[in-house]
Amino acid sequence: MPLSREAIVESLQRIVGSDDVITDEQILVQSSVDNFRKLQNIFGVHTMPVPAAIVMARSTEKVAELLRFADANGVNVIPRTGATATEGGLESAVADSIIIDGSAMDQVVSIDAYNMQATAQCGVPLQVLEDQVRELGLTTGHSPQSKPVAHMGGLVATRSIGQFSTLYGGIEDMVVGLEAVFPGGQVTRIKNVPRRAAGPDIRHVVIGNEGALCFITEVTVKLFPYFPENNIFLGWTLKDIKTGFDVLRAVMVNGYKPSVARVYDPGDAGLHFSHFAEEDDCVLLFMAEGAAGVAKATAEGIDAIVAAHPECTKVDSAYIETWFNDLCWGPEKITAEDERIRQTRNVNRTTEISADWSSINDIYQAARARIIAEIPDITMMGGHSSHSYINGTNMYFNYFFNVVDVGPEEETDKYYLPIIGIICEETLKRGGSIVHHHGMGKARAPWVKDEYGSSYYILETLKRAFDPHDVMNKGTIIPK
Amino acid sequence: MRILVSFKVTPDYEALREADWAAGTAGVVETRYVPRILSCFDESALELALRLSEGRTGRGATTELAALSIGGRGAEPYLNTLLALGYARAARVPSDTDLDFAPAVIASIVAGYVQQVDHSDVLLLGYRSSPGDSGTIPFLVAETLGWPCLTQVTEVEPLADGRLRVACMVDEGLLRVTLRLPCVLAVGNAVVSHLRVPTLTDRLARRNARIDDVAAADLGVDLAAELLRGACVLSGLEAIDRRRGSVIIGGESPREKARTLYDSQLKSVMEKL
Repeated sequence: MPLSREAIVESLQRIVGSDDVITDEQILVQSSVDNFRKLQNIFGVHTMPVPAAIVMARSTEKVAELLRFADANGVNVIPRTGATATEGGLESAVADSIIIDGSAMDQVVSIDAYNMQATAQCGVPLQVLEDQVRELGLTTGHSPQSKPVAHMGGLVATRSIGQFSTLYGGIEDMVVGLEAVFPGGQVTRIKNVPRRAAGPDIRHVVIGNEGALCFITEVTVKLFPYFPENNIFLGWTLKDIKTGFDVLRAVMVNGYKPSVARVYDPGDAGLHFSHFAEEDDCVLLFMAEGAAGVAKATAEGIDAIVAAHPECTKVDSAYIETWFNDLCWGPEKITAEDERIRQTRNVNRTTEISADWSSINDIYQAARARIIAEIPDITMMGGHSSHSYINGTNMYFNYFFNVVDVGPEEETDKYYLPIIGIICEETLKRGGSIVHHHGMGKARAPWVKDEYGSSYYILETLKRAFDPHDVMNKGTIIPK
Repeated sequence: MRILVSFKVTPDYEALREADWAAGTAGVVETRYVPRILSCFDESALELALRLSEGRTGRGATTELAALSIGGRGAEPYLNTLLALGYARAARVPSDTDLDFAPAVIASIVAGYVQQVDHSDVLLLGYRSSPGDSGTIPFLVAETLGWPCLTQVTEVEPLADGRLRVACMVDEGLLRVTLRLPCVLAVGNAVVSHLRVPTLTDRLARRNARIDDVAAADLGVDLAAELLRGACVLSGLEAIDRRRGSVIIGGESPREKARTLYDSQLKSVMEKL
């Protein structure tokens, strides 16, 4: 017999005190969705089950108590910090879920400039940590577009990646240790060491678990020296995105590590670079950073590689530098975008995938052509590659459509999910991954078995082992 | 009814860093590296014109929309977008000259275009645009044309008899006026502040529509001579200090923080009310 909503709230109040249990109906309704169904919040039309309460967790011990209660009573838990998820990971799949919010656990525990690592509680905004380490001439190297609003716990939980990943890596390359609480209240701490070969790397049970296995309470990340004065920006226009992929591959294969390495297709380039690029131009751009000699050598190496492609036309680096200085999205841009959507019913969505160098252009071309042909009311269909590796790269599909003849709450079913479906199908067909960095959430969970293939056994076993009563973020990663 | 919207494409000044706000050697702020955007009041005017046109549809009245912009090639993507949205004509008066502080020149061109090319009944435009912000262009155009001019327009709707009902913000509130054509409507803080977006299908349907380039000289405006008359030279820039003080309120619980906020910041204000 499941607990009633009132009984759940009473129990939560006993655990953390009534001040830290939010039951305001409007806040609960707004918290029933994340950015995957953002139109529901923008237009105030909600269809998802309403959570029973939001609990502000203030310590690891309280998180453990809360998880113990949830596990014992079969109450679904949605772990949350900055609430910037885009793939439905924070959506309440079942009624009377509890959202455990770690944003009040907001202390930077230590900054160790000698051992080049910093420890932060889960609710520390990345921007806060970054600002503090910058005062010491250091950087986390992590800079997702959500840097001003995302928190450390959520970034690790969703296997985040930043705009400088080609040099610094994704969050999985930065996390050296962490603390997490598992269902039943088991607190685990993975110590901070440079590397170890003592069996499987258990950090990866936690990193990217999206709240479906545990609640992350603290993370320790690497630090790097920060040399913004050495940044070198490079940019070119070109007509064929395939050439852009070829250049990115050559840069990676030759061992260069620019922090930013991107190629935009004409549609996406039109959003950012129409003041210098023609309507049918792709834009290829790089940023080299690091110690002066490293940055210089990186820029010279890239210059030489692009020179072998005479179809690329170099542009004034100030264009790229100006673009770079306006990369992140804070609350003011998000609010402005919501208002634009409210007035125009024109919605911007993104879906990111990855694949090897042989497949990426085919996936891009096939998915783009199908979306334009099969989905109505598309106003822009484009994308860019922004994270490259020795064996392949990502494609960040960026698209806009007008919501026509349906209510805002139907936008996901009429447009967004069918587009995601096309991108997933074309990616899986060619052996790529359907998620490069936003996480599976609930949006892409329907494709999880195809994504994992025979390795789904490992994922399913992890879920069964760590969350035997299936109380952790039901429907996320593994569909309910 | 022939409606003309005159609009400006401006650099996105929000994308300029504070350090970039400097009078360069050419005596201007260097803005070429930042993206271009529609001047915000002009964007409202462009969308209001579309709604005005739709409001007349089905009443047996024909409405033709046209758009005009003056400047470099930055306007072209916007003109193509307007064609895809149903504007019948999109025209550009090419100019590489900095006309930011030459409102009389702009007004001469717009008035010349209305009289000699478009023969419009209604001219819609933003009541001002950055960086000049003179707010004089609508009045100068109206004076040249001999048309009435309403400013701070927020809404426009068609009436069955061909007149327009226009709402304008005034100091005392919202003024609603019914007026005959022709007229100049200078759009202010309209509720409608975003231009709709055409689909790829719309763009495909209008791919053969061409932007008309109209030389200023053909409208009787000698750009060089006009500029000499009202030359404006940037002599310096001074930033407005918008920093505000702040206090971070501590406390063990939201209740305690709220109490501190009330006691330290609000109580004295409330007591004076």
